[in-house]
Amino acid sequence: MIALGLSCAVFALGLYGVLSRRDLIGVLVSVELMLGAGGILLAAAGAASGATSGAVQSIALMVLLLAAAEAAVGLSLLLALHRRSGRTRVDELSEVSG
Amino acid sequence: MSAQTAGLGVAIALVALGAVGAVLLREVMRVLISLGVFLFGVAAVYAYLGYPFLAVAQVFVYVGGVLVLMVFAVMTARRDRSERPAFVSRHDVGSAAIAAGTGAMLFLGLRPLFQDAGFARSSAVSDLAQELLGPRLLAFEAGGVLLLAALIAVAAALRGGEDR
Amino acid sequence: MTVVLASVVLPVVLAVGIALAGNRGIRVAQVLAVAGPGGALAAGMSLLASERASSAVAWRSAWLSQGGASLPLGFAGDALAAVMLVIVGVVAACVVVFSWGYMAHESGRPRYFAVLMLFVAAMSALVLADNLVTLFIGWELVGACSYLLIGFWYRKPEATRAAIKAFMTTRVGDVAMLLGMAVLWRAAQTLSLDGIVAALPKMPQATVTAAALLLFVGAAGKSAQFPLHIWLPDAMEGPTPVSALIHAATMVASGVFLVARAWPVFEASGVARATMLAVGVLTALYAALVALAQTDIKKMLAYSTISQLGFMFAALGAGAWGAAMFHLATHAAFKALLFLAAGSVIHGSGTQDMDEMGGLARAMPVTAAAWTAGALALSGWWPFAGFFSKDAVIAAVAAASPGASWILVFTSAVTALYVWSATFRVFLGASRSDHAAHESGRSMLAPLAVLALLSAVAGWAGPAFTERLGAPEEHAALATIAAAVAAVAAGTALAYALYRRAPERGASLPGGLQSAARSGFGVDAAVHALVVRPAVAFAQWVARVADEKVVDRAVEGSAALTGRVGGMLARLQTGEADVYASLVAVGFVLLTAVVVWMGGR
Repeated sequence: MIALGLSCAVFALGLYGVLSRRDLIGVLVSVELMLGAGGILLAAAGAASGATSGAVQSIALMVLLLAAAEAAVGLSLLLALHRRSGRTRVDELSEVSG
Repeated sequence: MSAQTAGLGVAIALVALGAVGAVLLREVMRVLISLGVFLFGVAAVYAYLGYPFLAVAQVFVYVGGVLVLMVFAVMTARRDRSERPAFVSRHDVGSAAIAAGTGAMLFLGLRPLFQDAGFARSSAVSDLAQELLGPRLLAFEAGGVLLLAALIAVAAALRGGEDR
Repeated sequence: MTVVLASVVLPVVLAVGIALAGNRGIRVAQVLAVAGPGGALAAGMSLLASERASSAVAWRSAWLSQGGASLPLGFAGDALAAVMLVIVGVVAACVVVFSWGYMAHESGRPRYFAVLMLFVAAMSALVLADNLVTLFIGWELVGACSYLLIGFWYRKPEATRAAIKAFMTTRVGDVAMLLGMAVLWRAAQTLSLDGIVAALPKMPQATVTAAALLLFVGAAGKSAQFPLHIWLPDAMEGPTPVSALIHAATMVASGVFLVARAWPVFEASGVARATMLAVGVLTALYAALVALAQTDIKKMLAYSTISQLGFMFAALGAGAWGAAMFHLATHAAFKALLFLAAGSVIHGSGTQDMDEMGGLARAMPVTAAAWTAGALALSGWWPFAGFFSKDAVIAAVAAASPGASWILVFTSAVTALYVWSATFRVFLGASRSDHAAHESGRSMLAPLAVLALLSAVAGWAGPAFTERLGAPEEHAALATIAAAVAAVAAGTALAYALYRRAPERGASLPGGLQSAARSGFGVDAAVHALVVRPAVAFAQWVARVADEKVVDRAVEGSAALTGRVGGMLARLQTGEADVYASLVAVGFVLLTAVVVWMGGR
């Protein structure tokens, strides 16, 4: 129950960061927080349900891989964007507006 | 207060402090340090729950890889600015309410699943290699392919930037 | 047994093929089209030749199963169906061949022949049906084909108006027929004809009478009985071969066929039979009088058809369905012959108005001979077909109601008068038009010859015919026959006296009576005033009040509402990622709240 509370709180913080940060790196950092919250919840649920350690760890590892890949791609996009326009702020990037 | 409870307290404190700092601080380096603290905390929670390999992987991949990458990216992106790099945030009640509501709803929705068990320590011995190379081999390989794809995507994105 | 189904399937295949071949392939397709009626004819022949089983199932299935009930679909062949298939096959084949010449200069021939094939298929399905649902499907399909062919020249306003009138008028009868089917379904829990007959003894008398009367209204609509006859004269706007096939020989006779098919239901209800007798006699006399006053050759034949159908219904009302079917068969031959001969006359002289014809016997001798054979058969001169079948009808009616039979005898005289008047006016005397008439081509004359032969000899098949059908046979009383022959002779003599010397004189009735009769004694106008005008007024009221004030406002209002909501929603589309993210989160919160509140997982 403690782990659940912790994970939900961290997820909420991460979401708040995603919504309030105006800077792409800040948003990325917040997304990492949300992913970490998911990891905690996964580990806690695995421990609570009595699943084998191997199963839990391998699934969490997959999440870790995804997060790493996401961070790498996100950062490279950030760099490319910076080279192109010098802007890395979310509120300046509204080109997908309909 | 046993050593175990103390370890749990430390881990929770690391996670909470790091998370708050990463969201609320303004200066880039401090934010990244807070993120590092948070990731260490998550690793500690993993270790406490009985997943030592996961904890080590967390430290290696995140603290050693992602965090360094982020610092590097920040340095590259802001090297031409004279002022100290800082994040701009727009703190408002709406975002806070949405975030708090989401967290509360997650908690309420997931609570029934955690009703019977507490923050119990798993006693199972890790046999990760067997698991990864056995039933989850496909997922493991898929993860490798995903990382490769991410690498290619990074190269493509940066090249595209150079062209312009 | 399933080979009988070829009479349904083959014409459908041909219809699709002809439609696909289009204008380019029509010269070949119209020749192949003979195979459609040929299939029906072969199926009917094989049924007649097969062993005397009363009914053999060809195919059966169920449709729209709901709970314990389902609508039956199925075909079964028996002698009645075989007779109808033979009639349809022969007449349709003649009409197809006739159409090669008659329609040669028309555009839209693929449409014409495709619908003709569809009609043959629908008619075959109608006569082969072993339950009322399948029969009704065929019934509506022949109605649709009739509609399409009446409106064949759809650029002519009269043609489209006539097509709509035919469709709407028969619809009145069809609704009654549906109601009758509903009554039978409720009482017998089935619509299969065998099942209905089996359940008849257990039904209350009132139910049987209601079902029989409703089915009769349906039959009267299709067979143009008073007062639902008003569509048939207008239906003559269609091409003449179509009038011969659909509006004289087959489709309009399907009402008679329906009554014969469901005969046990009518046998069980004296009220329904009395009604049929009264309506049939009234229609026969009325239509014959109106036919006297017509100057349009096709309208004259149309009223004549109505009158002859009245004879058939009178026979049905008298309980002699065998005689009715016999008259149906001979009438199909000689009325198709008369229509095709009229088509040949119209083709050769370029007009439909008998006042503008005259002296055509010299220009078109073969057509004149064929027409004369048809006229002999229609008026009932020995030994032509009409003599036997009409006398069988009159004899049957005499056994049931002597008074009615005297009316029919009088109608016979009128029949002879109008058909011979027309004959003298069209073919004798001097030409009254400057149009040089010419004889039609061989493909148009050959069907005339076939039908003329049938009109001449078909009457002799009478006893064999009724025996094969298994219908009760009537023996004509000598006195009735004598009276009928005398009436025919009198009518013919009067026509001769009036027109032989002066074929160019116009109407055969005194002035006031002539104009009244020509317009059908005001029935059409009365129907228009009593039914059509109130219906149109009601429709206009609905359009003004219900449509504009309620429906339109609702539609326009909802459109405006959608536009406004859309405008509001569009403002959310800022293109900023964090707004989208918060919307996702809000959605998640709401959904989870619902799930948690419901207490489920």
